[in-house]
Amino acid sequence: MGKLLEVVNLRKRFEMHILNEKEIHALEQVSFNVDEGEIVGLTGKTGSGKSTLMKCIHRTYLASSGQILYTNGQGQTIDLAAASEHEVIRLRRSEMTYCSQFLEVIPRVPAVDVVASGLVARGRSIEEGRSDASSCFERLSLPKELWDAYPSTFSGGEQQRVNIARAMISRPRFLLVDEPTASLDIRTKDAVIDMLIELKNTGTSIILITHDGHTLRRMADRSLHLEDGRLKEVVYA
Amino acid sequence: MDNNWLLRARNLTKIYGEAAPGVLERTGPKFDSNMDPKTGAVAAVNNISFDLYPGEVLGIVGESGSGKSTLVQLLYFDQDATAGEVHFKPFEDGAVNLFELSNQKKRFVRNHLMGMVYQNPRDGLNFRFSAGGNIAEKLLMAGVFHVGKIRIRGSDLLTHTEVPVKRMDESPARFSGGMQQRVQIAKAIANNPPLLLLDEVTSGLDVSVQAKVLDLIRSLQQDLGISMIVVSHDLGVIRMLTDRTLVLKHGQIVEHGLTDQILQDPQHGYTQLLVSSLL
Repeated sequence: MGKLLEVVNLRKRFEMHILNEKEIHALEQVSFNVDEGEIVGLTGKTGSGKSTLMKCIHRTYLASSGQILYTNGQGQTIDLAAASEHEVIRLRRSEMTYCSQFLEVIPRVPAVDVVASGLVARGRSIEEGRSDASSCFERLSLPKELWDAYPSTFSGGEQQRVNIARAMISRPRFLLVDEPTASLDIRTKDAVIDMLIELKNTGTSIILITHDGHTLRRMADRSLHLEDGRLKEVVYA
Repeated sequence: MDNNWLLRARNLTKIYGEAAPGVLERTGPKFDSNMDPKTGAVAAVNNISFDLYPGEVLGIVGESGSGKSTLVQLLYFDQDATAGEVHFKPFEDGAVNLFELSNQKKRFVRNHLMGMVYQNPRDGLNFRFSAGGNIAEKLLMAGVFHVGKIRIRGSDLLTHTEVPVKRMDESPARFSGGMQQRVQIAKAIANNPPLLLLDEVTSGLDVSVQAKVLDLIRSLQQDLGISMIVVSHDLGVIRMLTDRTLVLKHGQIVEHGLTDQILQDPQHGYTQLLVSSLL
């Protein structure tokens, strides 16, 4: 297995200029690797820095120092902490996907099109996108009458399934997923887990944040434990 | 990659009043004003440089008076730049500075290769013409003279922008604000431009109409791959439409980045203030 990601001495501080230059230390000297096709879990208490770490990798947050070396599908290594905006956009369009805890709803776009857009953005037709989206919804037991409805009025669990379907549909090479099973019942939870494991089996590498022991045990090859922004231990499954 | 840009702007500058030496150095966010204390000149756009890539949607945010609208008006030749260069790949492969073209060639670029949607539909539409007539005007300027073809293209565009075709021969003065805006968009894209400039297109529309206009813009981008520059003070609009964002203050860029980074991890105090003021 090749190396997909190498995080070296990552540090993240939030400097709040509008609050008298207050500084929040979110991550300190975090280093770890992810291999191709591996599922790595991130655990730790609320506020320990899990989501911050994930967002730094996705470049939603700018790292304060350190390196985030990602090896892309062509075998080139890119430092996500320093890469140009265009390079990051290209990676996001072609191989890296982030699935947050919350769906960012696009007004008046039906659920099926929200999900299909993940494929359309990668150059597939809308019909193809819709058909894949429908089969995703079916597996996630999203009621059929919701498929062409607007997700802004959906419940938390329904929105979460739309969000997960949108992230998975394009079969990204590298998936960052934050609490994918938090508001789901056990049966739907297992459906999400099965789908993520299938993705892994087709070669996707995944970083997973979860508080749910069941999800972690079923999915993660290895998990990293964060405490106050520092990496404390590595637990092998 | 770096040579793959569609539009390259360098040191774009617009000074209202006397462009005396030192105006640019005495204005900007550092001085908390775009007005030169010595001469009273206003540096509305102060040394702005950026690249726009094919198929990209670039957001420009900032409060009123930060220079957002002036910036796109310079690109569309609505105003003359005081200094700076703009290169645009669809015109002579980007070899020439658009600001140095003759007026005739500027008109060519504007009519054939760009589209602009203004905040106020009255700036983009001629209310003495019908909706169809407005689209015909743009097509005529872009060199389409066949009446039948103009008519068909007009009704296609109105269908696409969800304006009832049966009202094609009415003046936009009789349309609602949202409909006027959609006619304006139909007109702006009539010539299939590789670049579309959108200046506060949803301000003043109620939310349901706003959603419809935003959805239209998104689908245009997705279906036609048009590159866009979206000017807005509404961070929600920027979040929905754009990949990258420039933050302007007193005529200068104070921060640029991926849109999600600008909104979730703003680096500059001014952007932090903007984001934390979000409803």
